Amino acid sequence: MPRHVTIEPKPGQTLSDQLFDLGVEFPCGGGSLCGGCRVRLVAGDVPVTEAMREALSDRELAVGWRLACLAQASAPVTLEVEQWSPRILTDDSRLTPESRHGLGVAIDLGTTTLVAELVDLHTGEVLGVRTALNPQGRHGADVMSRIEFDLRQPGALTSLIRRALGEMVASLASGAPLAEVLLCGNTVMHHLFCGESVEPLSHVPFHSPALEARTFTAAELGWPAPIDEGVTVLPCLGGFVGSDLLCGLLACGVHTAVAPTALLDLGTNGEIAVAHQGRILCASTAAGPAFEGGRIRMGMRAGDGAIDKIEVVDDALHCHVIGGCAPRGICGSGLVDAAAVALETGAVAPSGRLTDGQRTFPLTGPVELIQADFRELQLAKGAIAAGFDLLTSRAGLEPASLPAIHLAGAFGNYVRTASARRIGLLPCPSATVHPSGNSAVRGARGLLLSPSRRQEQLNTILSATEHIELGSDRDFQESFIEQMAFPDIAPLA
Amino acid sequence: MADLRTLHDAILEGNAKQAAALTQEALAEGLAPLDIIQQAMVPAMDEVGRRFECEEYFVPELLLSARAMKAALEPVRPLLVASGIQPAGRVVIGTVKGDLHDIGKNLVAALLEGGGFEVIDLGADVPAQKFVEAVQSSGAGIVALSALLTVTMPSMKSTIEALDHAGVRSRVKVIVGGAPVTQQFADQIGADGYSENATAAVALARRLSQPA
Repeated sequence: MPRHVTIEPKPGQTLSDQLFDLGVEFPCGGGSLCGGCRVRLVAGDVPVTEAMREALSDRELAVGWRLACLAQASAPVTLEVEQWSPRILTDDSRLTPESRHGLGVAIDLGTTTLVAELVDLHTGEVLGVRTALNPQGRHGADVMSRIEFDLRQPGALTSLIRRALGEMVASLASGAPLAEVLLCGNTVMHHLFCGESVEPLSHVPFHSPALEARTFTAAELGWPAPIDEGVTVLPCLGGFVGSDLLCGLLACGVHTAVAPTALLDLGTNGEIAVAHQGRILCASTAAGPAFEGGRIRMGMRAGDGAIDKIEVVDDALHCHVIGGCAPRGICGSGLVDAAAVALETGAVAPSGRLTDGQRTFPLTGPVELIQADFRELQLAKGAIAAGFDLLTSRAGLEPASLPAIHLAGAFGNYVRTASARRIGLLPCPSATVHPSGNSAVRGARGLLLSPSRRQEQLNTILSATEHIELGSDRDFQESFIEQMAFPDIAPLA
Repeated sequence: MADLRTLHDAILEGNAKQAAALTQEALAEGLAPLDIIQQAMVPAMDEVGRRFECEEYFVPELLLSARAMKAALEPVRPLLVASGIQPAGRVVIGTVKGDLHDIGKNLVAALLEGGGFEVIDLGADVPAQKFVEAVQSSGAGIVALSALLTVTMPSMKSTIEALDHAGVRSRVKVIVGGAPVTQQFADQIGADGYSENATAAVALARRLSQPA
């Protein structure tokens, strides 16, 4: 059911601040540019501003839609905010620990979400999990807007994330002493947590001199309780590829696999690794927010009311809606299904164009896709497929010959393999696809549980890894243009 | 008799080989270069622009057509120069310092060429000084700046400042574009024009190259 919240005006806090605290995300950082932070007014008054008029249609305004990032109210209001209840991937696998006592915490510091696990270092058991949205999201959804914000207001994002993680760690430990905390995240998250300058990441060639692991005492981070062996942020692999991918490689065993293997993390900042004959090639590629429902007209996160799965049964579309309620939008996995179905039925041509002069591709209830939504998906899919294509060929492999591929991250976990193949997002017809869940936090936990072998494991990966900067690569730009089109016919699978 | 309609369609369909061959054929038969441009190439690129605007064409189709247009223009260009025919205007274009994205910039460059402009393409990650030098040596009337990253947008400002310092700012019109760029930003940094997409950039360049 849609969640209604009633908010009282608070001194010194705008309605917009309060909405953010409730979990409404501002994809463009509160610049009123994207319209992605919309909430629906149920009771009370939130005045329509000029910028809201530009971002929303008259009809949308009339039924109560407002932009949360600009919302102000002088009296109590009731709003519908259920659109914003993301599924955050945790991990419930068991790992075998080395003999050690006490408690530790493993953290996946994501651009969008935070996951922290309290781990019994003796048994390897996960005793508790906390998840939250990254509070930096208030200042932009992707790493580039975070960099831009940090350059304008140095230090603000660093204190935000240190405070948020400090609170999560304290609430997990609830007074018990902690032996160690290990963190993984992409390069920008690493730098912002460590307080390193993100300036080198703001322009070509995107080389930062500060990619190494860093260890802090709790006091240095402003965390009240001491942590015996400190808080360690794991090392980055290069460019924007961070220790989240490094931990994913460890968790999926990519570094020790005998056969060629790939790991894809399909987030806003897509990260790709291809391992073959002792080498690991990695790269990041800006896929944009389409896989998370961003920049899609009726796109939303995978929360209640989102279409997450579409099948054709007896020539009719069957749309599955999360939470079993009325459909309100479509999330990334639903979008990929929709495109696959549209290609199969011929509603969309391989060029991405809607056929027969149609302007929309209706799904169910009020939910439909427009031409621009397919274009947005083509850009996202093209960026990933082109990156994958380039890395496999640099590794001396034919994409078609790759036997196994691991998909990390929430979208990778929910997307249907057949649909991803149909739209050309996974251009490797014969590979077995393993959804690997939150492999980042699992890898970090593995390192937490093997202190004596940790450095050796990190060294193995770091010395085998080569980072390739795709933005400056001619072949990548060519391939990107080619990969924007959808495959003509369904690949054999 | 060479068929300009077929040349028009070859460009529209992005068939570079056929477009170049048909142009050669037309020239061999003695058609005037300017007629080939005005009767086949310009209308073809206008149609490409129209299809892009109504979402029928997307980036790949646009680039293929641009490539065909370039191939067709190749044999015509030296003849234009030899006969002293003036282009619609001369444009220096590039993606600003720190930014390597050149797909959008290439689209604008191709459509400008299709629109009859002479285009000097400086590529991507172009330092401000290079824009200054290109303006000084070419006498271009328009400088087109592209940026795809919010973090490289400040390079647009510093490029305009460099044109100013070199004393050539008043000789050129500066137009800006790229996904994160807005009209508001263009006004802020003192650009003369902003365009939301590649096809509108051609109209903008035409408007700005009219004598005031």
